[in-house]
Amino acid sequence: MINLLRVFGKSPFEPLVEHSRKVHECVKLVRPITDAILAGDMARLAELQHLMSKTEHEADQLKDQIRKDLPPRYFLPVDREDIARFLAQMDRIADDAQDFAIVSTFRKLDLPKDMHADFLAFVDKVVQVSETLLSLGERLAQLQKESFVGPDAEEVLARIQQVAQMEWESDKLSRKLARHYYGDPTMEPVQIMLLDKLCRALNGIANHAENVGKNLRLMITRK
Amino acid sequence: MDPVTLLLIIAIVGGFYMAWNIGANDVANAFATSVGSGAVTIRLAILLAAVCEFAGAFLVGEPVAKTISSEIVTPAVFETRAMDFGIGMVGALLAASVWLNIATFLGQPVSTTHAIIGAVIGFAVVACGPTCIRWGEMVRIGASWVVSPIVGGLLAYIIYRFGVRRYVLESRHPVFMAIASVPLGLGALVGIVVFSITYKGLPGLRLNFPLHWAAPLSILAGLAVGAALWIGLRKKMWRHGIPRDQRYEFVERWFGHMQVATACYMSFAHGANDCANAIGPLGAAITTLRTQAVPHEVGISPLLLAFGGVGIVVGLATYGYKVIRTIGRQITEVTPTRGFSAEFGTATSVLVFSKLGMPISTTFVIVGAVIGVGLARGFAALDLGVIRKIFTSWVVTIPIAAVLSAVFFLALRSLTL
Repeated sequence: MINLLRVFGKSPFEPLVEHSRKVHECVKLVRPITDAILAGDMARLAELQHLMSKTEHEADQLKDQIRKDLPPRYFLPVDREDIARFLAQMDRIADDAQDFAIVSTFRKLDLPKDMHADFLAFVDKVVQVSETLLSLGERLAQLQKESFVGPDAEEVLARIQQVAQMEWESDKLSRKLARHYYGDPTMEPVQIMLLDKLCRALNGIANHAENVGKNLRLMITRK
Repeated sequence: MDPVTLLLIIAIVGGFYMAWNIGANDVANAFATSVGSGAVTIRLAILLAAVCEFAGAFLVGEPVAKTISSEIVTPAVFETRAMDFGIGMVGALLAASVWLNIATFLGQPVSTTHAIIGAVIGFAVVACGPTCIRWGEMVRIGASWVVSPIVGGLLAYIIYRFGVRRYVLESRHPVFMAIASVPLGLGALVGIVVFSITYKGLPGLRLNFPLHWAAPLSILAGLAVGAALWIGLRKKMWRHGIPRDQRYEFVERWFGHMQVATACYMSFAHGANDCANAIGPLGAAITTLRTQAVPHEVGISPLLLAFGGVGIVVGLATYGYKVIRTIGRQITEVTPTRGFSAEFGTATSVLVFSKLGMPISTTFVIVGAVIGVGLARGFAALDLGVIRKIFTSWVVTIPIAAVLSAVFFLALRSLTL
């Protein structure tokens, strides 16, 4: 009678939560990297970039494992495509965080003092978006136990709206900062290019986080 | 010792061994999750399972036993050589037992039902050719093997999707709904069980009521139990001191209590259906060998039903508890809300088919019910490859049991006659 056990496959939801945590670990490194950029500490940046690559690689391994454990004959409570997209978007968040770390090591950025506050505000908002997303992603395993309905599912759906709202706020901060540095006649063009690349990576994190939220909504509301 | 006594002893040992096997391996299906979730201790589980299996076998075991003993093969064909029929049934019991042992040794999951049906066909084909088998009846049985898991799955889907999920988990007051659903679920369960016992039940115990008596009686019994529970639980219902983040755990705990009842229900249905695999051929063999004549209709006496029940209980007590413990520890996926739905669906389907006299595989029905709950988004991941494995074991078991049974039949006949 051991065949009753054979009916149950490996749950992908706990590993998805683990992967979400790993990705947020990458995003959390953005803030110390920003501090090192503003301090002009290239040695520290190299060190942090190394740490980032390591964390991103670990996230990649988790992602590959989840994909491997999801053979086509498995029957899942959510759309297989939704899981794949959720993973792919999560993966892009980690990629963009890694981009941010790598770009920061290319060249020393001399950010004018009056832009420091705006840049930090933008960075903090992006990290906050990812944090909010993680707090939702972490509940995926519990939601599965509750069969994707009930007060908890309602709450997660409401908070997904929050992620989108925060992404929009981070967009505003990003535009404000861009206007600032593109309009600054004292900044060297190379410096502007470097700063622009950094901002693009940050924007990417926020955008992909919003997409993960949308994906989560699809998973929950699937009938 | 004269050959007939010897055959009788072999038949009784073989029948007991089959019953032992059923108790040792299959009872875990019902109680493993309840033991795993800690809703009952292993001791209490064994006790409850023993009582329910025995009650199911004794009170509702007759129709399936009749099918196996005298519906698949027409006993009248053996009019002139009654001994062949008796010896054949003994051979069938031996063949099924031997094949079950080999399959267990090889780690293959096989159904006792398929083994015994294959074995009965096997000896009959050798004894009097394929024409003496009622192929129409076999088609009906084959169809029931396909339909019963679908019925179980459908019931489990409806119970989980439209009962548990919509009215309890999705509710704004899941705790209240969980407590309120206990009288409903238990009332329905009691009603169905009472109906299965009283409607065309054992004549020896005067339990053979006609429909217009059995139906109101079971509805009344269900209502009485439901109402009594509702009144008893009403005080508890208004206490709402459950913190928000513990509501889900509370709901699962409550369903854990209720799942003990569905596990009993499943044991009852299992006893009703699977006990026949042991006592059906045994009954046919005993009647024929003792009277030396082919019975017009094989009577399944209460004593025989009790014998099968005892065999199952002994299997449970000597080996089944180990299986329950092992599986209970490993099935963590089946939380009480899911277990309740799957077990209710399985037991109802098995019981209905038992009353119809269809020997089905309870394991298939369970897998069907699990998939039904999965379709209602109940499980994290189901491995549908298992369906293929089950199908293979079914397709393989029947011819092997048939060939073994034919061999045993020929050997026994040449030894005794």
